[in-house]
This record gives sequence, C-alpha cells and structure tokens, in this order.
Amino acid sequence: MKPSGRTRGKAPFYWLILAPALAVMLWLTVYPIVNILFTSFQSYNYLTDARHWVGIKNYTDILGDRVFIRSFTNTVIYCVGTTLFEVSFGVILALVFYGEFRGKSAFMIMAIFPMMLSTMVVCAVWKTLYHYDIGLFNYILKSVGLAKIGWLIDKDKALISLALVDIWQWTPFAFIVMQAGLSSVPTEIFEASAIDGSSYRQTLFRITLPILRDQILLLLLLRIIDTFKVFAKVFALTKGGPGNATETTSYFIYREAFSYFKLGRSSAASVITLVAVGLASIYYLRKILRED
Amino acid sequence: MKKIPLLAFVLLIAFSGSLFAQQPVKLVIAGRDGDYGTGMQAAVDAYKVLHPEVTFEVLKLSGDDIYQKTVIDLKTGTGSYDIILIDDPKALQFQKAGWLADLDAIYKKSGQKVDADFFPNLVNLCRYPDNATGKLYALPFIGNVSLFAYRTDLFAKYGLKEPKTWTDVLAAAKKIQTGEGESVSGVIFRGVKGNPIVTAFLPMFWAFGGEIFDAAGKPILNSPAGIKALNYFLELAKYAPKGTPMNNTAQVRDTLLAGGAAITPEVWPAWLGALNDPAKSKVVGNVKVMAHPSEVKASAPMLGIWHVAIPAASKNQAAAFQFFQFLTSKDTQKLMAMKAGLPPSRASVYDDAELLALRPWYPAVRSALIAGKARPRTTVWSEIENILGGSLQEALIGDKSADQALNEANAAIAAILQ
Repeated sequence: MKPSGRTRGKAPFYWLILAPALAVMLWLTVYPIVNILFTSFQSYNYLTDARHWVGIKNYTDILGDRVFIRSFTNTVIYCVGTTLFEVSFGVILALVFYGEFRGKSAFMIMAIFPMMLSTMVVCAVWKTLYHYDIGLFNYILKSVGLAKIGWLIDKDKALISLALVDIWQWTPFAFIVMQAGLSSVPTEIFEASAIDGSSYRQTLFRITLPILRDQILLLLLLRIIDTFKVFAKVFALTKGGPGNATETTSYFIYREAFSYFKLGRSSAASVITLVAVGLASIYYLRKILRED
Repeated sequence: MKKIPLLAFVLLIAFSGSLFAQQPVKLVIAGRDGDYGTGMQAAVDAYKVLHPEVTFEVLKLSGDDIYQKTVIDLKTGTGSYDIILIDDPKALQFQKAGWLADLDAIYKKSGQKVDADFFPNLVNLCRYPDNATGKLYALPFIGNVSLFAYRTDLFAKYGLKEPKTWTDVLAAAKKIQTGEGESVSGVIFRGVKGNPIVTAFLPMFWAFGGEIFDAAGKPILNSPAGIKALNYFLELAKYAPKGTPMNNTAQVRDTLLAGGAAITPEVWPAWLGALNDPAKSKVVGNVKVMAHPSEVKASAPMLGIWHVAIPAASKNQAAAFQFFQFLTSKDTQKLMAMKAGLPPSRASVYDDAELLALRPWYPAVRSALIAGKARPRTTVWSEIENILGGSLQEALIGDKSADQALNEANAAIAAILQ
C-alpha cells in the first residue's frame, strides 16, 4: 500500500522523532559491528598501539589455531545439546503441568527460581557439588558403592557437566514460555478432539505441537543465541580446562581481548562467532516468518 | 555603609578557612581482593585517622580484573586511579609504556630517598630497566614469595627427615600416602589451568635446572632438565588428590589447615594467617614452613610480589605520594602483616618480636625472599602463562606426556615471540 500524500507530508516529522533512537542504535550497535569488522583485518595490539592492515591473516591464523577450532566445536556441541534438552524438557514439563491444580502458583515461582540467580552464584554452588574429592555428587555415588566421577576434571565429561548446569538453570525458561503458549490455546479445541475420539497421542502430535510450533521455534532461536555466547559458566567453573576440553569461542575472545589485548585476533574470532549465530538465527527466523 | 566592614569580616573568615584548612581530596585505589584487600583497608583506615581530609575509594579486584581495568585506564590516560597494584610479571608492560609516575623524580623533589630497608632485589624489580640503576616506578607492596610446607608430626611418625631435595619430597609423599591411605594425601597443590598450575610447577622446574628462556631470550622449556622436572611433577601428582586439576587457593589452603595433606609444595604467606589459630586449624604447631628443597640446583622460591605505583595520569599525585609513603612505611607493613598476614617487603619488620610471635614462619619468608627468583621480564607473560598452564594441565590429566606437553608449549611460545 502506498503512503498517502498526508502521510508523506509528515515524513520529516517522523524522521525527526526517530532520529535520537536511530542515532543511539547506530552508535551502540552498528558502529561497534563495523569497527570490529574493520579491526578484524588488522594486527592491533592495544597495549603497544601497534596497528597495521594484515588482510585476512587473522582469519587464517585463527582457523588454523587448534585452540580456536576446539573452542568452536565445543561451543556448537554445547549450544545444540543444551538447547535441545532445555526445549524438550520445557515442552514436556508444560504438558505435564498443563491445567489448573492446587499450588500451581507456588510451583511456578519455584520453577523460575534458578533463572533468578546470578550465574556466578549458581556456578559457585555447582563447583562445590561437582568437586571430585569433597563434592556432594561424588559423596552420594561413593555412599551407594559407585565409582566417583571426575565431573570437571575428566576431559570427556567436563563439557557435559557445564551443559548440565545450563540445563538446570534455563529449562524453567523453556517451561514458562511453553506453559504460556499452551494456556493461550482455546480449550474447546482439545474438547472437540476428545469428543471426536482422538487419543492423547493423536491430540499431542496433530493438534498441540503443531499449534505450539512457532513458540518452539522462537524458543530454539532464543536458546541458541544465548548458549552460543556461553562465557560465565566456563569462566567460573573450568577456565576452559581440563586442557582445552571446555574452551568456548566467547572465552577465547575474552582471553585474546582482555588478557592479551590482541584486538585484531579477538575481532576476527568475534566476526566468525557472529556469522555462525547470525546464520542460525536467519534459519529459524525464516521458518517462523514464512508461516506468518 | 555599616554593613561593609561586616561583609569584609565574613569574607575574610571564609577565605582564611579555605586558605589554611587542608583541602579535601579523594584517592582511588585499584587494589586486590581477599587478604590483600583486608591489608589495604587496614592501612587506609589507619591513614584516615591521621588525615581526615583524605577520603578513599578502595577497589578490591581479582587479579584479572585489576589488570584489565588498570591497563585500559592508564592507556587512555583517564586518571581514574591514584594508587594501583601491579602483579610482578606484568609490571614490565606498565614500566615500558610510561604509564607510571617516576618515583625517583618525586622522591628527589620531596627531598627524600627510598629507604634502604626494602629488600634490594625486590626494589630492583620495580625499576626499569630491571637493575639497580633503572628508574623507580613502584615499590614492593608486599614481600610475597612461594614457600614449602610439611607436617612435622607425620614426618616424625614415619621416621622421615626434613626434605632437602625434591627426590626426598617424592619419597616422603609416597611413604605417608601409603601409610595413611585416603585420610591424608601425600601432597596437595594447585592444578587449575593458567597461573595456579604454573606457579605450583615453577619452583620444581627451576630446581631441576629448567629455564623458560635462554640468555638470548629463546624459549627452552622443553630442555631435558625441563622435561625431567615435568615428569617429576607428574610422579608427585600421583600422591595428590584426584581433584587436583580443579584445586585452587581455597582448596589447598583449607586442606592444609584441615590436616588433609602431608606436604604442600606451594604455599604463600597470606594463606598461612590461620595456621596457628586453633579455631581454624587442626595442625597447630605441626606444620613447618620453609624455602623450597633443592635438586640439581639450589632452592628457587618464586617471587610473587605486587608492585604499588602511582599512575602518571593521577590527578592527585601529591596526596597519593603521601599515602604511598605511609603504605610502604615500616609501621604500616607491620600492621598489614599483623592484620592480614601480608608479608612485609622491608627487612627490618622481620625482626619485630610481636610479629614473629604471631607468624613464626617469617624467618623462612625472609630467606625465601632473599633467595627468590622472579618470573621472566616479558610483556607477553599472560600468554606464556596461559600456554604453559594449559600444557601442564593436559599432562596432569594424562592427555599428554611430559615431553609432548613441553614441546608443544615451547613451540607455541616461540610463535608468539616472533
């Protein structure tokens, strides 16, 4: 639909009132991205101010750096694993606790409790629980006659242990989103399917989940974006160890930028991460918007 | 007209007040957390009694945070901080970049000299270039040095003598661990990736004859002596708790105080504050603290001093220098040692009878400070420490052999130095 003459006449006014917000957005979002992109093609040591153009060298160096490759692989595994578990558990919990029951409000408050805690506090608690020698989990395993597990010191288990903390903390978010989605579905639909003799399984796969499809896709998108940036849990629980078993791209970027002050390399790593998250986001957004 | 003399009198009073009263000033300190923060706070509180016109903002930051915040502030010349603490291996960057006030010039201007009471080898680390004639950019805030501790009761129980060499240490750890079973570990040390595991390893590495760089500045971590040191470290780790790769300061200190380990090859003076407090320690009178054992080379305790400096961009340099002198004075060094267990950087404080009664291991600290070895002077220590720390941990968890870990670390360090 073409704008009317009257609307066109007001365009300068609209631009004027939009300008402050636009300026802030350009300054806080567009400028840093452009700056990072520009810096990623430079060798830039913040400490010495040595800065010169190196083309794609930072990218080739980083893509050939075994620590970065390990970081990226770990991040993808962590992101996919936690997202799938959180969204699946969220959907299951929402279905289990669908409808009204006594104590629902209290249950919901308890359910969102992990999300309300600071990640650093959560990690401090889990770090103690996970400790090989003095942790509660190994104490329980030992007391029932099972072997202790190197939750954070076994290179094959450390990433899973980090993922478990995320799943514990963020499954409630998925649960609440799905619960809200489920509540918005008119009950008449379920009543009608029941009258038509539909089984629970048929109702679930042919009615409930298709209706919730957009919420599930949105949830997948939000959790992918969030888990791909995982930093605090790595910082607080393992510092990327044991060895490089829990290195992630965010931790790699942090170390390059704020321990070594090599802003060219950290910018290149940031761009690679941004592209990866961007591609995943575009995929899910297209899926969501296509239906609209 | 009668009002004019009155007005003049009021103005005179007001002006005289502002002229003669000391100007209020606020000093911002970028300091450390934990015991360092407690010590600094004690010094600040004592100073405020003498100088009520000075107010303070004391930031108690982690080692990583203080480095990041001070680098960014000093690089941009913002002048947010008036007093800063710098970790010794990172000091070269600050000295080289000209971010710190020239203390020689400030002392000269004030007609004073640096007291000869400070350990000379520590003061030299605060000069740039690192020698007795370089410009002074800081003073040692505390005389921090890595030490060695062992349980005298357990050594007596198993008929063991005080370990003179690292070989003795391994034999003792094995014997005690075998005898005590799971209740007491042979040794306990920090195994967290990065600084903690590197700091635990270096005294052994140096005693076995290992060096990080040769005289030309080329990395030689993977020398036969270095590989032998790491093999020894891995052998010793067999008598450490399984959770060692996760163990940091708190776990090592708490295990030592709880009597859970026979030997602690790396302890720092500030960890020992509660050693003889029966309310917090189960090993009162049963732990001997000493300089590290030798091996092919003499004992090589690692110096871990923190520098205290005034940023060149500080807007309150005069007031900061006054506080700086108070902070590094003999009385304040004693106060911080008494209250927070921070080891003094002045030799004379180690003769204080009251302090020695409270911290009986201080003669060992003094010996270790004199014999201590600093980490290499380089602007890329953070990267070296991270690379070496990662490789050491990979070896500790059995992911790599000693020679594989050190060969890879050496190659990676050589690459960043190019």
